[in-house]
Amino acid sequence: MAPGVERSFTAASTIEEALAARRQGASVLAGGTWMMRDPRRGVDLPEAVVALHRIPALSKVEVEPDHVVIGAAVTHAALGRALRGSAGFEGLVAAAEGAANPGIRRVATVGGNLCALDFAAADLAPALLVCEATVELQTFEGPRLLGISDFLKDRHALLTEAIVTRIHLRRDLIASAHIRLPLRQAGDYPVAIVSLAVDRNKRCRIAVGSVEPVARRWTALEQAMAAGPASALDPQRVAELALEHNDFQGRDGKEADGWYRRQVLPPLVKRGVAALLSTEGVAWL
Amino acid sequence: MVVTFQLNGEDCRLDGDPMTPLVDILRQERFLTGTKAVCREGFCGACMVHVDDEAVPSCLKPIGLVQGCAVTTIEGLSSGNQALHPLQANFEAADAVQCGMCFPGMVMSLSAFVRDNPHASRPEIKAAMVGNICRCTGYERIVDAVADCLDQARKAGQLAGGIHV
Amino acid sequence: MSELSATVMNLPRRDARDKLRGRTKYTNDRARPDMLHAVLLRSTVPAGRIRKLDVSAALRCPGVRAVATGADAPGLYGIGIADHPLLAIDTIRYHGEPIAVIAAETEKQARAALAAIVLEIEPLAPVFTMADALQPAARLVHEGWRGYEVITEGGARAGNIAWEAKSSRGDVDAAFARPDIRIVESSFTVGRQSHVPFEPRVAIGSWEDGRAHIQTSTQVPWTVRNVTGKVMQLPPGRVRVTVPPVGGGFGLKFDASIEPITALLARMTGRTVVLENTRQEEMATCLCRENAEIRIRSAVTAEGYIAGREAVVLMDCGAYGGEQVFLTTMTAHTLGGNYKVGATRLVSRAVYTNTPPNGAFRACNGVYNTFALERHTDEICEALGFDPMEFRKKNVLGDGDLGATGQVFEADVLGPMLDRMETLRASTGTSEAKADGRLYGIATTVGTWFVFVGPSAATVNLNADGSATLVTSGVEIGSGTMVQSLPQIVAGQLGLAPDQVIVREADTDAAGLDVGVGGGRTTVSIGAASVAACAEVREKLLRTAGEMLQTRPEDLLLRDGRVEITGRPGSGMSIPAVVAHAQATTGPITGSGAFTAKNTPAMSGCAMGHFIDALDIPVFVVHEAEVAVDADTGHVEVLAYRVVQDVGRVLNPRAVMGQIQGGVVQGLGYALHEEVTITADGRIAQDDFETYRLPLAQDVVPVAADLYEGAPSMGPLGTKGAGEVPILAVGAAIGCAVARAIGKPVRQLPLTPPRVLRLLHEREPPPEFPHIAPGWASNTLG
Ligand SMILES: Cc1cc2nc3c(=O)[nH]c(=O)nc-3n(C[C@H](O)[C@H](O)[C@H](O)COP(=O)(O)OP(=O)(O)OC[C@H]3O[C@@H](n4cnc5c(N)ncnc54)[C@H](O)[C@@H]3O)c2cc1C
Ligand code: FES
Ligand code: FES
Repeated sequence: MAPGVERSFTAASTIEEALAARRQGASVLAGGTWMMRDPRRGVDLPEAVVALHRIPALSKVEVEPDHVVIGAAVTHAALGRALRGSAGFEGLVAAAEGAANPGIRRVATVGGNLCALDFAAADLAPALLVCEATVELQTFEGPRLLGISDFLKDRHALLTEAIVTRIHLRRDLIASAHIRLPLRQAGDYPVAIVSLAVDRNKRCRIAVGSVEPVARRWTALEQAMAAGPASALDPQRVAELALEHNDFQGRDGKEADGWYRRQVLPPLVKRGVAALLSTEGVAWL
Repeated sequence: MVVTFQLNGEDCRLDGDPMTPLVDILRQERFLTGTKAVCREGFCGACMVHVDDEAVPSCLKPIGLVQGCAVTTIEGLSSGNQALHPLQANFEAADAVQCGMCFPGMVMSLSAFVRDNPHASRPEIKAAMVGNICRCTGYERIVDAVADCLDQARKAGQLAGGIHV
Repeated sequence: MSELSATVMNLPRRDARDKLRGRTKYTNDRARPDMLHAVLLRSTVPAGRIRKLDVSAALRCPGVRAVATGADAPGLYGIGIADHPLLAIDTIRYHGEPIAVIAAETEKQARAALAAIVLEIEPLAPVFTMADALQPAARLVHEGWRGYEVITEGGARAGNIAWEAKSSRGDVDAAFARPDIRIVESSFTVGRQSHVPFEPRVAIGSWEDGRAHIQTSTQVPWTVRNVTGKVMQLPPGRVRVTVPPVGGGFGLKFDASIEPITALLARMTGRTVVLENTRQEEMATCLCRENAEIRIRSAVTAEGYIAGREAVVLMDCGAYGGEQVFLTTMTAHTLGGNYKVGATRLVSRAVYTNTPPNGAFRACNGVYNTFALERHTDEICEALGFDPMEFRKKNVLGDGDLGATGQVFEADVLGPMLDRMETLRASTGTSEAKADGRLYGIATTVGTWFVFVGPSAATVNLNADGSATLVTSGVEIGSGTMVQSLPQIVAGQLGLAPDQVIVREADTDAAGLDVGVGGGRTTVSIGAASVAACAEVREKLLRTAGEMLQTRPEDLLLRDGRVEITGRPGSGMSIPAVVAHAQATTGPITGSGAFTAKNTPAMSGCAMGHFIDALDIPVFVVHEAEVAVDADTGHVEVLAYRVVQDVGRVLNPRAVMGQIQGGVVQGLGYALHEEVTITADGRIAQDDFETYRLPLAQDVVPVAADLYEGAPSMGPLGTKGAGEVPILAVGAAIGCAVARAIGKPVRQLPLTPPRVLRLLHEREPPPEFPHIAPGWASNTLG
């Protein structure tokens, strides 16, 4: 920032106000846990920010019988609290309650987790992928709904002119699980994440995070599973399929090489299926 | 920009960059150096403070976001000649402290934790400490002291409302 | 009175309360608005020549009060050899090396002015690894090595070999030529470990009455004093160093680093100047535990007798010699420790590279040499079919056995300690059931360390209120020595309660020379000096009391704050009354005491280039680990950890247990989590808490420990240092346990999940050292 220039800080109270500030060039500030580390990454803090925490609509979780709406400014901790015990959302709750550390979870928001560009290890990304979440954006042109997969792929471009406002979830899952693999017991970014879910049609959805730069569904494995009998939700069997259909290109990082990230996927899938089987939802198996 | 908030029960008014991390204000402008800036990245917990009664890292908290909030630092937890918080008393009695740099943050994290989780088990205490690093002690004595503190509180019949700060 | 019963207790720490309330002012809590802030311009290349350095524009920047460069502090410092400038002079030798420093009214102004410094560097081809540095045609990291001042004589040096220490005892060639032996050879490589003290290196310098005053977070106030004098070309007596409570050291603060810079700037500006490393700087320029490469060979008979042993240990000192020069000494005592060996020869070399300099870290050198020795011992057992525990029981050092330099060890210590480990295991039980389907391994390992004795001084002033003031150059770094064992010792000697003993924080103007807090030496060396000081106090006190009570001093004793007539509890008078009388008649009662190493001899001709030929106070440990390895992911879970530690005499059992828990956990970090790698441009890649993974509460277990008392020690009351050694054998125990669990040789630390999985999949190449010649002698400078 040029000397003498005062940073502009807007605590928006409505989405419209936030969008107006955004139009003026302000960057979105949610919990700040990602943005405040920018200087450490050699990036200057933005000259203008607009904070979302005073917008009531963005800070609540609405749990309805057939759908759930999560405000983008809801923290990980609040998300976990809101959905704990809701059948089908075990995975999302595990993601929200297992990411980072307790202090960060009390501050870091859902929107921030999805909008932290170039962050490959986001826990909520694969968890929301298997929910087939819809991301609601307010763009300069108006509101827009987008599948989470497309959002994750295109978010660099999308976010130059938009704010994420809400995440919409259908309640069509009967069980889900979230298996994260940090190098310690917890506290560091997961080097690989496998999220799984079973929907009402007994179809299994699987997504992988942190292995490639952007989280994605494991379509090859899902298809292979769909080709078999539904009762084939057997951890060992699915792990074998995972080995056979491992089409991931692991990314190299300081903490783990690509080989490792790819290699651990089948065992994580195995754990994930075992976790699914321990939920009430799949008692039918 | 002007930011006003409650700091250890008193009004605090600042005029400065709203993106300044709270920890820098506490340490450099208010000389409340009990809050430590160790990693400045949210990993170590040495900078923990209570914002509206929740324990959060102050290194990642831009002061713009604490406008109107109540901030309590380690200095405000048991100020002046006040008795130690039961956790502090337990840490002292258990000879848990070594270099001491992590402890203000430990106390701030765990005082909120024991308040909210009067029945926590040892593994739950450890899980609550994921964001509080100690380089000296090897943790176990801290965990023991927290467990003892909860035990004592239960025995003292303070069960109903948890442990009050 | 039993001196011991008055001394041994679980005294709590007097500094705990303030620390818990956040009131303790560490050095980095002492920045005040009227101070200048200094920031360093650091090199962004690993090797180069400074072609141009122009700071004139920076001097004109807002708020800037001074800019200093190497030209302002031309003296070189170092350990053994003076090779280290305060700020780079002409040559850049590592990424992150300080080149210039700016002092300004605010840190922001100082940082902004950095950009105004004109710096041109002609890059040189960096030498990053010891393999590169030892190539015959390698570029020299220090072209002018021959011209450096040699501070300690005796080490062989040449080119990129900063220092070489050798030990040789007996006819090793003959041992290896015996027909009845088998030869087992192992190679090991270990990475660096970063200390991560929560308080980074920080200093506050001022210029007072023509002298420098530095407040700093250090373990070695006298070294800071001397180095500052050296680089500023002042008599060291013109430097005063005081030490506030230190927020962790672990050896990192066992050398001077940024302190002299603050003195320099204070002299230039007449202002008080604070310089604190950012966390990133702290980690990027951490004087880490060095990375090392070890090749060891043993000739062992079918009966399990180790007839001969030889080893080459390469220690990366980074860009400057630093502690590694000294630490080459330790190989003879660590890798050369633990076992009876017929004939042995060991060489260790500190090698220059264009990487950040390394330094001292808790049980320096010992940690990886113990890992190597214990894994090698297991490889011997596997090759020759011995039971590892029986082999150890048979071969550990005992009474009268010779060490690598020919030192004669006293008493059977390790043998009985192994028995005690079996008893401890019987009482705790084992945790195999917790492995729950994962690969399980258990290993018992031994380790040899020492107490780094050396000069200490103490003064005790007895006050008229019955309290005593202890003045030393000791520093409280967190281990509790200054708030527990020292006041306990003084109280025990003078019949006081420990809270009546006031412990002065280190001030080189007030107390005598001390080599510093490290090497587990404070309780022993400062403790012994304090005992000597108390003897003088006691003598004066009893003499005065004898006159007052008309009793011979020999018939008096000190107890509960009173001078009593032996055998008549409650008789005599209070100490304050005696002190008051003395003050009026003969003057205040004070005593001073001194202590230094006794310099236990080595066998003549056995130790070459050593700073310590033989150990005055050896310390032994037995460590046992149980682990479960997840074969799918490579994660190692520590299921249980047990320690039997030779403590000589324990003064504060609870405090020692705290040191053991903390030290073992740091060792678990080293063995399992903490990894430092060097990037393609010569930086430490892990320079934050995101990438450098310290053990967290969930990664550790409560350590079960048994304190072994009674081994001989020259320490006061028979003590040995207890704070340094707990980390010694953790890498060894974990390495051996994991090797057994996975059924593959473990030759490298840390055992991060990716490394363990690679080992399981045989994708981890074994260490190979083409730069270590097959013949031992070819690895020496002759
Ligand atoms: C110590 C630590 C450990 C962590 N460990 C994990 C982990 O294990 N797993 C994991 O998943 N994550 C982890 N994280 C990352 C963490 O999840 C993110 O920092 C956090 O979710 C970001 O949320 P925030 O609200 O703080 O975002 P901010 O920092 O406020 O914003 C992050 C980015 O998103 C943008 N943004 C935020 N909200 C919106 C919105 N609604 N619309 C458009 N743009 C927006 C901002 O402009 C900014 O660029 C960790 C972080 C820390 C500090
Ligand atoms: S300093 Fe804030 S978490 Fe480490
Ligand atoms: S006591 Fe030193 S960091 Fe915890």
